[in-house]
Amino acid sequence: MNNAEIITVDLRRFDPSSGEAPYYQRFEIPAQPNMRVLDVIRAIYETKCADLSFQYACRIGRCGTCSVKVNGVPVLACQERAKPRMRIEPLSPFPVVRDLVIDRGEVESRYVDLNLVPARGSPRGEDIERITPVAAEQICNLDRCISCMICVSACPAVEERAFDGPAFMLKLRQLSLHPANGQDRVEQAMEGGLMECFGCDACTQLCPTDLSPAQAIRELRRVKVFGGSQ
Amino acid sequence: MDQIEVRKVDVVIAGSGGAGMRAAIEAQERGCSVVMLAKGPARANHTRMAGGRFNAVSGMNTKDSVQAFYQDTLDSGAGMCRPVMARVLAEEAMDRALDLEFYGLTWDRTEDQRYFVSMTGGGSFMRTLGSRDEGIGITEVMLQQLYARRIPVQEFHMLVDVLRGEDGAVEGCLVLDIKCGKWIAYQCSVAIIATGGTSQLYQTNSGPAINTGDGIAIALRAGATLVDMEFMQFIPISFVYPPSIRGYTLLEPAHYGKRHVNPNAEAGILLNTRGERFVLKHDPVRREGSTRDVLARAIMLEILEGRGTPEGGVLMMPDPDVLEDFIKERPIYSKRLLENYGEAQARFQAPIQVVPSALYTLGGVYVNEDCQTSVPGLLAAGEAAGGVHGANRLGGSSMPDIQVFGRRAGISAVARVHERRGGRIPAFSQSQAASLARAKERWLGQTGGVRPVEVKRNFQKLMSDHVGLVRSGPKLSETLRTFKDLNDQVLPGLSVQGKSRVLNRDWMEAIELENMLSVAQTMATASLMREESRGAHFRTDFPDTNPDWRVNILVSQNGSRLKVERNDMAEVVA
Amino acid sequence: MNGTKTVRLPRDTTRQAESLVIGRASRMTHRITGIAIVLFVLVHLVAQSVLHVPAFSAWKTRATWLPTLVSQNWIHAVLLFAIVFHTLYGLKLILSDLGWTFDYRRSFLLIVGISILFGIRELARYAGI
Repeated sequence: MNNAEIITVDLRRFDPSSGEAPYYQRFEIPAQPNMRVLDVIRAIYETKCADLSFQYACRIGRCGTCSVKVNGVPVLACQERAKPRMRIEPLSPFPVVRDLVIDRGEVESRYVDLNLVPARGSPRGEDIERITPVAAEQICNLDRCISCMICVSACPAVEERAFDGPAFMLKLRQLSLHPANGQDRVEQAMEGGLMECFGCDACTQLCPTDLSPAQAIRELRRVKVFGGSQ
Repeated sequence: MDQIEVRKVDVVIAGSGGAGMRAAIEAQERGCSVVMLAKGPARANHTRMAGGRFNAVSGMNTKDSVQAFYQDTLDSGAGMCRPVMARVLAEEAMDRALDLEFYGLTWDRTEDQRYFVSMTGGGSFMRTLGSRDEGIGITEVMLQQLYARRIPVQEFHMLVDVLRGEDGAVEGCLVLDIKCGKWIAYQCSVAIIATGGTSQLYQTNSGPAINTGDGIAIALRAGATLVDMEFMQFIPISFVYPPSIRGYTLLEPAHYGKRHVNPNAEAGILLNTRGERFVLKHDPVRREGSTRDVLARAIMLEILEGRGTPEGGVLMMPDPDVLEDFIKERPIYSKRLLENYGEAQARFQAPIQVVPSALYTLGGVYVNEDCQTSVPGLLAAGEAAGGVHGANRLGGSSMPDIQVFGRRAGISAVARVHERRGGRIPAFSQSQAASLARAKERWLGQTGGVRPVEVKRNFQKLMSDHVGLVRSGPKLSETLRTFKDLNDQVLPGLSVQGKSRVLNRDWMEAIELENMLSVAQTMATASLMREESRGAHFRTDFPDTNPDWRVNILVSQNGSRLKVERNDMAEVVA
Repeated sequence: MNGTKTVRLPRDTTRQAESLVIGRASRMTHRITGIAIVLFVLVHLVAQSVLHVPAFSAWKTRATWLPTLVSQNWIHAVLLFAIVFHTLYGLKLILSDLGWTFDYRRSFLLIVGISILFGIRELARYAGI
């Protein structure tokens, strides 16, 4: 992206209140060094298209709310480097609220259904919970998932089968590792389509937080098939 | 304008960060109906972006004590902290850390399964807990708690104003559903302002796009008082380039050296372009382990005086020996260094360019230790509230702040709800709500003026230049005049061209700009009044600290004017 | 200075849309090679039946495309590629389920490489080398 002077973007537009069908609008933006896709989108909003709807907040890859599809690949708009030719679309397969903003209602209600909290019967004690540094590290590591839904968007099994998605499997794995976990997370994963994963590792490659949902799925499947502690 | 939809709930919480979520959990646990509003997606908040470091007296360091934590907070605050707030923070931090673990977060541990503690810039003892998932982990764990407890989370719901009854008490909240552009009025007994800070008022900032100080402006309009608005914390080191990440915090120099785990060792060393270790001029004792205000100002002065890099930063020399621990403890930061600076910097083998950046609003809504404002039914907690950290915040004290005071706001909310239930059920005035809503719609469809995003850019530059790290009387007065012009001439004429009410960003930015301007006026006014330099507030015309100014400055709205007064500090009893 | 060169850094994930999504390529190839094998077996079945089963001898005259198809020796090279890829990749999937870990990029490229080698060998055989 060093020599191109103009960035050409085909951006998918859709406003449900207008009654029109979705269409692609072309924009041309002067290229700056080191631009990210979000910078391009913001430049379009600021200089070319005042009624563009898009979502971002932290711009540093932590809130996970700016996910879009660039040239068919789901990415974080704030992290992905801009390219001279880009087709920018809202993240599939989610319903579109407007332009690049998707409705995450179904995603959040799935999180609610999974009850991703440890089981705590009695009120909290006064002592520090005994957790080994390795276990703490493993749990923390999986807890870095930012719920960006890039893995769910890229997953072929989500497209073709009754599969909730890699992100949910990863959270179930995280909870299964917690010493105070009180639910059968493997059974929940099974209900969510644990066996449908193709093992293609697209989620591992595209995860912006360097996590591997596919690895979490393999670990859960091993527990299911071979039993043993989780 | 369509009919305003009315919903009933006991407690409305504006803000989905740590304070808002903690308040929601507490209020609901104690039997009240709660709704938590987020201006966008619930995860888009400042807590998410935090390093997640948590100061607490955990018993891991036998040399540390609640008194020491309290004293460190007061010392860092340069005499501006409200002693009772600092004491509450020191006392309750550990309980809140245990709460977070109860919810499912796991603090980093050492071999013997006890907490790993480290050092923070300006603190006296190692007491800072941490976890590798940082603010991401804290917000995820808490959000799952809210889900498990079935607490309603309304995304893309922006609190626009608070509705008060004839007695001045809160009776409702006017909210804009940004997703469809419709108005909602919540009939409630309590409104908790947990909307975060004002980092977006500055050009180079470390916060999320949503931190435009809305809640602080709303509280001001509702009749509450603001405190310490002249104190804005700048993180000393942040990314210089590329533009997309510019301003994002790089933690503290302590993290880049052995000082992180040894209070007597060196932090990452800061050099100007002449290779001079300029921090020694400002703090020869703590050196690069000094407090944020000292470091940020030291760096800023070097840059302003021409000894900075062409990109506008200074150089930090990390200690390669701590690389492995850094990657292990902070994989997210290591990744960002690699992606934005390069492999040599990520491997701590090349100097890392850094620049100060607007991070944390030290002031805010004036509350007591129970998060109550002067307006009955209006509470505030978290970065939106002021008085806890005084003129400079210790690194690692924001996470316990939002948990401690978030919970206290929840408790106060419940008390207020029970108080109100005894009497008549409050109802707000429909016409008041309607006229407020119409006022916010005045820009819709207006063409020919200047766009909010353009005004925001110029405004941010103005704030960074004159109400930032380095201030002066004449510049502050000039800025206040510019603000008045912006308010009277530019703001009414903003153009919001988009006709659709669905996710109309221009419209949202116009409403935000009104709030930002309101908050900025209080910041500049308080800065002009304080004729000395203390903590984060530095004036070139009054560069020394003056004990006569050991007072807090309170700002409130009086009609269309601001009322500013000094509040003498009570004697601090050790 | 200790051996900082050996410390593994996190990945740079800012060029995701520029790189081949290995998962998509491997899944597609596995699917296509699977289909190819099935198709080959089908054609092979028909071809052999025509040759050896009396009831199918009528096909000899009617199915004029059959001899042309069967004489295309390069199809064997494609078949070998398909069999080797499908088998090795399938083995990789089974092994990863059993606990082995593989780097998705390296394993894919290695398997494709080996499969191509088999395909080339097949081509060489038919070319008389």
